[in-house]
Parts: sequence; C-alpha cells; structure tokens
Amino acid sequence: MKLKVGIYWGAACGGCDVAILDTHEKLLDIAAKMDIYLWPIALDFKYDDVKKMEDGYLDAAIYSGAIRNSENEEIAILLRKKSKVMIALGACAHLGGIPGLANFYTRDEMLKRIYIDSESTINEEGVIPLESWNVKEGELDLPRFYNTVKTLDQVVDVEYYIPGCPPVPLQIYSALSLIWDDMLPPVGSVIGAGDKALCESCPRVKEEKTISEFKRIQQVLPDPEKCFLEQGLVCLGAATRSGCGARCIKSGVPCRGCYGPLDDVPDLGIKMLSAIASVLEPKEEKEIDDVLDTIVDPLRTFHRFSMPASILRRKKE
Amino acid sequence: MKRIEIDPITRLEGHGKITIFLNDEGDVENAFLQIPELRGFEKFVEGLPIEEVSRVVPRICGV
Repeated sequence: MKLKVGIYWGAACGGCDVAILDTHEKLLDIAAKMDIYLWPIALDFKYDDVKKMEDGYLDAAIYSGAIRNSENEEIAILLRKKSKVMIALGACAHLGGIPGLANFYTRDEMLKRIYIDSESTINEEGVIPLESWNVKEGELDLPRFYNTVKTLDQVVDVEYYIPGCPPVPLQIYSALSLIWDDMLPPVGSVIGAGDKALCESCPRVKEEKTISEFKRIQQVLPDPEKCFLEQGLVCLGAATRSGCGARCIKSGVPCRGCYGPLDDVPDLGIKMLSAIASVLEPKEEKEIDDVLDTIVDPLRTFHRFSMPASILRRKKE
Repeated sequence: MKRIEIDPITRLEGHGKITIFLNDEGDVENAFLQIPELRGFEKFVEGLPIEEVSRVVPRICGV
C-alpha cells in the first residue's frame, strides 16, 4: 500500500521543497511509493483537507521551516496530530536555520525595522500588521509574529531529522526510502546524513593547525588545497555533521554548519569554540583573547544556522 | 455576508491566503490577499560581515 504523506513549510524559503524536486528521476520512485496529501508549493490541498482527516491518518509529515509565527506552530500541531511520524526537513526545522538569526533581536526591534524604518518604506503612521483587523465586510486575521524563533521539536514531538540548508536531494531520497523500506532507525535519529564530522571527509589537506590570527576571506587569497582553518579562516567543519558532500568547501567557501552538530553534541557553536581553542598558537590568556578578538561576529558565525537550537536560544532581553 | 477563505494559496513560493466576502446577491463585495509570512531579513542582515551576506540572502527564496 502506498504511504500517505503531507509536506509543509513553516518559516522557510522553499529550498527544501525544491531539494525534494531536485531528486529528478527519483521523483518517479517517490511518486510510486507515496501519495501526497498536502504540499503547498506543488499541489492544491487546503488546511481544511488536513483538518478533516482522522488523527494518525498520514504515515508521515515532512515539515521544513522554522516556527516563526502562530500559523507555523498551528500547522505543526495539526500535522503532528494527523501523522504517525513527524520528520523535520532542513536546517530551519532542525535547528532554526537562517530565520533563527532573528533571535538576536526582539519582536519589536524586528517589526520597527521592517515596517517603519526601512529605507524603502513610507509608513508615516507607523502601521504594523495586526493579528486581527475589522474591515466593513468582517474581520481579517493574521498569525502572531513571535518574539523568539523556535525549532520544530520545540513545539511538537519529532521522530526524525533530515539536516542541511538545503538537504542534499539524494540524501532526502535515501531518508525517504527508509520509511517505505521500513528501516527507520531509533526515534530521535538524524537520517540522510553522515555520522562523522565534515572535517573527516573534507578534500583539503590538513597539516598542523596553529592559528595566530583569524582573517576574513577577502583579506587573503586562500590556497584551494589547504584546510581553511589552518589558513586562519573560520570553518565549522570540525563541529558539523557530514553528509553535504563538502559542497561549500568545494565551492571555495568555509563551512557554516548547516548540517548541525553530531549526535550527543548539544550545541554546535560551543563545540566549535572548543575546537578552535585547542588549535590556537598562543598559550597565555591575554594573547589567546587577542587572537579570538580577530574573529568577526563570532556568535552569528558559530550559530549561523543553529541559534534557536543552541543553549543560548536567543539574545537576553 | 458570506465569507470564502482560500487558505493556503498554493503552487507558488511563499505563504498567502485569500479572503472573499460575498454579498446577499452572491456577488463579490470585497476580497483580500493576506501574506501571513515574515522572516525579517531586513533586520537580521544588519551588521553582518559583508562577505557573509551573500551566503545568507539566497535563503530569502530557495525556489
């Protein structure tokens, strides 16, 4: 019997959906194994269609995107109720992703910049979207924009995670095949990815790392054969799960951690700081501080994709 | 007044819903397109190192 699946996006860019489509001819295999009951980017099902389903009707819900507003959360709760298995697809659902960078600000700071202060906006009355608004024909409503971006598993139980921004299409396919082959690993597992650090499969040559200064990529002409970190360029490969195929590194830019931390590592950023601390050249505290001070914007670098999932979670208010 | 909600609108990149109000004759009295989506790149790219911006903003739209 074919599996019944719902695919949804919360606060997302659609890149995860496109990654599913980018499985190319494997899409035919997916279509042979699964019937889709919700997929806004590609098919015309409505929320009401999902609400009418019996609980547990879907074999799996595949949710990409972070929880940014009340609609994202409501649909996550709805799909959780209607699905036997909940899968977080991509860095946003898994870790908070790029939308999670908003956790360095408050809700009010966000709305003020976006709707009032931005250079391309004329909004003399300072209007911001309301959750409820009366027009003469009736009431209109919009979701609540939350103060804090959350990961999917901060609002519902999640069985499996397919990491990446976006996930590699063939990794998505192999993860989905675990469902129809009935080969799913223990609940809580990351699927469709490696189980070692990206460094271990990095094609660049690693010699002995001793860093005396961090540089920005435009300040050097990086050696394409050599480890980025050894050249003083912050690269998160030492703390990041493999599975991406080192696609950024092969494109000449260092890893920013979209595949997230390894098993049993609660916080990618802290793990990376610890990895960096062990390869600094100076041994005296003052000199160590001086070297670390050469890292530009460390928090948004080490938690580029993972701020909502980190121990910090958000900026202190 | 009768109300029709098309939620979500589909087969496009992004989120949206359409609310249509019909009058007693069954004609459209008014219709509203609403965008229940906001991530706020306008704010969170502020102060980001310039070499990192080109790695963040492709995530505005991945389609």
